[in-house]
Amino acid sequence: MAYDSDLSFNYFGPTKIVFGVNASRDADIEMGALGGSKAVVVTDKGIIKAGLVDGITECLGGKCAGVFSEVPQDTGVEVVDAAAEFARKNGADMVISVGGGSVIDTAKGMCILLTEGGTLRDFNGVQLLSRPQVPHMVIPTTAGTGSEVTNAAVIMDREMGQKRLLVENFNVPRMAILDPKMTEKLPPLLTASTGMDAMTHAVEAVHSIPHEPITDGLALHAIRLLYRYLPVCVENGSDLHARGQVQIAATMAGWAFGNAMVGIVHAMAHSIGAIAHVPHGIANGILLAESMEFNLEEAADGYAMIAEAMGVREKGMDDHDAARAAISAMREFTLRIGHPQRFSEMGVSEQDIVKAADLSLSDGSIVNNPRIVMDSSEVLDIFQKTF
Amino acid sequence: MPIKAMTQEWMDAYKAAIQADPDYRNIAKDWEGSVALVVNPDPSKNVPEPIYLFMDYWHGDVGEFVVCDKAKAESARFVMTGDYARWKQVAFKELDATKALLQGKLKMKGDLPYVVRNIKTVNKVIDILGKVDTLWPDDHK
Ligand SMILES: [Fe+2]
Repeated sequence: MAYDSDLSFNYFGPTKIVFGVNASRDADIEMGALGGSKAVVVTDKGIIKAGLVDGITECLGGKCAGVFSEVPQDTGVEVVDAAAEFARKNGADMVISVGGGSVIDTAKGMCILLTEGGTLRDFNGVQLLSRPQVPHMVIPTTAGTGSEVTNAAVIMDREMGQKRLLVENFNVPRMAILDPKMTEKLPPLLTASTGMDAMTHAVEAVHSIPHEPITDGLALHAIRLLYRYLPVCVENGSDLHARGQVQIAATMAGWAFGNAMVGIVHAMAHSIGAIAHVPHGIANGILLAESMEFNLEEAADGYAMIAEAMGVREKGMDDHDAARAAISAMREFTLRIGHPQRFSEMGVSEQDIVKAADLSLSDGSIVNNPRIVMDSSEVLDIFQKTF
Repeated sequence: MPIKAMTQEWMDAYKAAIQADPDYRNIAKDWEGSVALVVNPDPSKNVPEPIYLFMDYWHGDVGEFVVCDKAKAESARFVMTGDYARWKQVAFKELDATKALLQGKLKMKGDLPYVVRNIKTVNKVIDILGKVDTLWPDDHK
């Protein structure tokens, strides 16, 4: 793929990655590398119930400043405030998050409060920080969000009825421990949908306007790994080799979209999520192939690279043919992993998609989409085709 | 005749340019609230002191446009801070304002989702800024 001769970009990805089966048991040793002596563990009730936290607190021993497990599905300002207060009281000098997106975002908010003081209500803006924050180590229990390596967090302000978006380069997690054991028990549907979130991050990083060679490299290898190993994880959750490859892919896709951004698929997934509560990964998985179809003329060269990564570009295909092959392979892939295909299966109504189409136009992600979206009817058309 | 950047005269010219723009009122019809720009000093570029600019935008109308002090700037709904060189890049459209925010080249106090929802308004005022005939501090001979 050709890049403009005036190509200019910033790539930022400071997170150290520690990978391996049972690597989470090294959390205490790794803490030292981050300069921490007492860590508060942030998680949720489900993860405790699944027995994923015990091994970590055991290995931390006296270095554990307590476990905060009151994180709900969608974290909020008051949750972050309470968690930071808990950490302060217990003398924590670093944060270890064990969980998915909501837990990781809670910990990101906490790091700011533990460094800067105050409540999250005082903190509203972008790139306001001017020094490194309290260290944050992430031990993800899903493979999808990529949040372990990004500078962003989404935190609900229920009082104001709005989402707060924190974007802070000084608050990117310092370390992520990817332990395949932590995702071993994820049920097939959750494995498929979180995996499709990662796949969507990778595809959108390739077609987004600010994509560049580093993010393309990360995204394309993520696609390669997901295409090969996600079906294995869905089929046999305890295949730790496949689980590990999918975790690595999700993290690589996180670096890719954290720098190159996302486009129309995420704009639509955010909107249908807000209106009809469709889980993020599922919405992405339903929308991805149809949105690629929508972007085909503008992103054919990128999709041709995706076809190569998937191994579906045949000899003699030009970019356009290869892009088409990538789109059909993506459709077939979602079927193979047993992913939901239509919004009507998810309890979404026709009014919902009309509202969501409108809302999509005001989502920040849409500005990075390769095909300029002029009117909500274009978005509605994609929703209707996937309804 | 170019006007010295970031002076009251320049703010007046900028405000007049926005008011004269045929599309601005419609594009900005949903925007509510004041914006302050803080320009960090850079003596090497003839900006010895920080500069504070306050602009009031309200549903397609423009109100107060003034060079102000720190306290007034900090009272704005959105406060954007950056080095002089970055702001000049924004004015020349060499740097996209949202991209600059996300990359940490500019800082912003205020509600980011609101800004992205109204990105067309932001881009429009930057567009108009580029049309004001300006003499930049480091253009001085
Ligand atoms: Fe996502």
